[in-house]
Amino acid sequence: MSLEERELEVLIGPQHPASGHMRLVAKIDGDVVVELRPNIGYVHRSVEKLAEVKKYLQIIPLVERPSLADTTANNLTYVMAVEKLLGIEPPPRAQYLRTLLAEINRIHSHFYGMGIHGVMIGSSTAYMWCFGDREPLIELAQELTGARLTYSYIVPGGVRRDLPQGFEDKVEKVMRYLENRMPDYFDLYFNNPVTRARLEGVGVLSREDAIRLGVAGPNLRASGVPYDVRKVEPYAAYPELDFEVVTEEAGDAFARVMVRVREIQESIKIIRQVLKKIPDGPILNEKYMKMIPPNLRKQVEETGRIKFPGVFANLRVPAGEAIARVEGGRGEVIFHIVSDGKMSPYRMRMVTPSFRNVILFEHLTRGVRVADIPAIYGSLDYFPPEADR
Amino acid sequence: MAVERTIRHIKALATGAKYMLGGHRLTLMYPDDVQEFPDGYRGMIEYDWNTCIKCGLCAMVCPADAMKMYVSKEESEEGKRPVRRPGINYTRCIFCGFCVDICPTNSLKFTKVHDVAFYTFEEQIFPPEKFREGVPKPQYDKKPRRVRAILDERRGIRYEPVE
Repeated sequence: MSLEERELEVLIGPQHPASGHMRLVAKIDGDVVVELRPNIGYVHRSVEKLAEVKKYLQIIPLVERPSLADTTANNLTYVMAVEKLLGIEPPPRAQYLRTLLAEINRIHSHFYGMGIHGVMIGSSTAYMWCFGDREPLIELAQELTGARLTYSYIVPGGVRRDLPQGFEDKVEKVMRYLENRMPDYFDLYFNNPVTRARLEGVGVLSREDAIRLGVAGPNLRASGVPYDVRKVEPYAAYPELDFEVVTEEAGDAFARVMVRVREIQESIKIIRQVLKKIPDGPILNEKYMKMIPPNLRKQVEETGRIKFPGVFANLRVPAGEAIARVEGGRGEVIFHIVSDGKMSPYRMRMVTPSFRNVILFEHLTRGVRVADIPAIYGSLDYFPPEADR
Repeated sequence: MAVERTIRHIKALATGAKYMLGGHRLTLMYPDDVQEFPDGYRGMIEYDWNTCIKCGLCAMVCPADAMKMYVSKEESEEGKRPVRRPGINYTRCIFCGFCVDICPTNSLKFTKVHDVAFYTFEEQIFPPEKFREGVPKPQYDKKPRRVRAILDERRGIRYEPVE
């Protein structure tokens, strides 16, 4: 390298200590980043193409796979799009159960993001705490659905299982635990001067840029834009629930973390309301309930666990197009399904929040120090498999 | 500002010390402790040979092609026509439980077993004759303590032994 050539190209990844496999190509001048380009596609799984050869019910586990921590959002969005095509509505109780799982999932997805962020900026205590505190929530979801992360809980017309016995008490205990623990999080991590020094004023995203670049989710709200699909286009049981859209004005890495923390507190509020307001009734649409053989219908009423009607194996969806959107933990998830009346979709488009946020890597890192790259990366709660799909 | 920063440093250290001495542990000490799962846990699948009506819905709904209909040799020779029964391939199974939920005679059931190790790839494929024998038992070096997760408002999760 001659003396005139001041810029140096550094490859970060694709195997790096942060979450997921993605290469960052950084051009640096001394310690200052001149340009950082994310090189995406390492964990591409061809979800959209696979969906064209799988049957409608088989796509449910498939769409969950790309986003490990936020499976309910994808599951819910996909099923909502299919329901629009089928022209069926889930019963009210199922709507509430969907909301319940979505909020439990939102909390543990936020913990996941904050934990990874913690370890990226060198606070392994925050990482251990966040991942530890995910566990009670995962335990709750496991009791409700039977699996830790890949729930496949939401099916066309309703949900697969009713609330287990004594579930309300357990939820209340976990919610109180999170509330008790939050002050300690602030003392140890969020108000820690080391954390503040690493995050405050780093990677500032202005309100105008956030709107112009089409950023989604907590990253958008941290720049002062109160946009939340739960309010803008309410779905499931959200119209009947009282909650606020959390925003922060600063738009820096710390504001993005704070939005997540305050959203956890909002989610706790929502979960309590859901359990108080949840109506009695069936958890699967009447049309499908009637298709279950009578002896099994009795069993469903006793155990609270749905048996699928045989028609689910080869579910045919009328021709047409449908779009559904949901506010997931990381942001807005959109599914666009085009059906030609056969057993598989003609085309399925899946837009994930990480895909929309990946542009921020290039935008926020111009002129920052190399050590700020992980601080910004982590604050975006970016998840490579979700963006690559 | 400097004073406030110092206070915050001290608070962070004090919180750390509190947890170091308080013994706040969420870890499950596997394999010394093994967790008992709640009812309805989606583990490995049990097959009831006698109630199965061989409808093939489980194989049709399986999203990972793990459940397949195999020709059952003895029965086919007896009846002089091919009889197909379900078998499962655990290298492909993703434990979504769709097959269990769609089974019209409850011939497929969830068990709470999930921590089984296999030596070879082939061992993980369960044709109907092997599938009917039930799920393999997990092997532990020494007998583990069975524990249950209790959700707790002060400690998050406690693991309590089950008799």
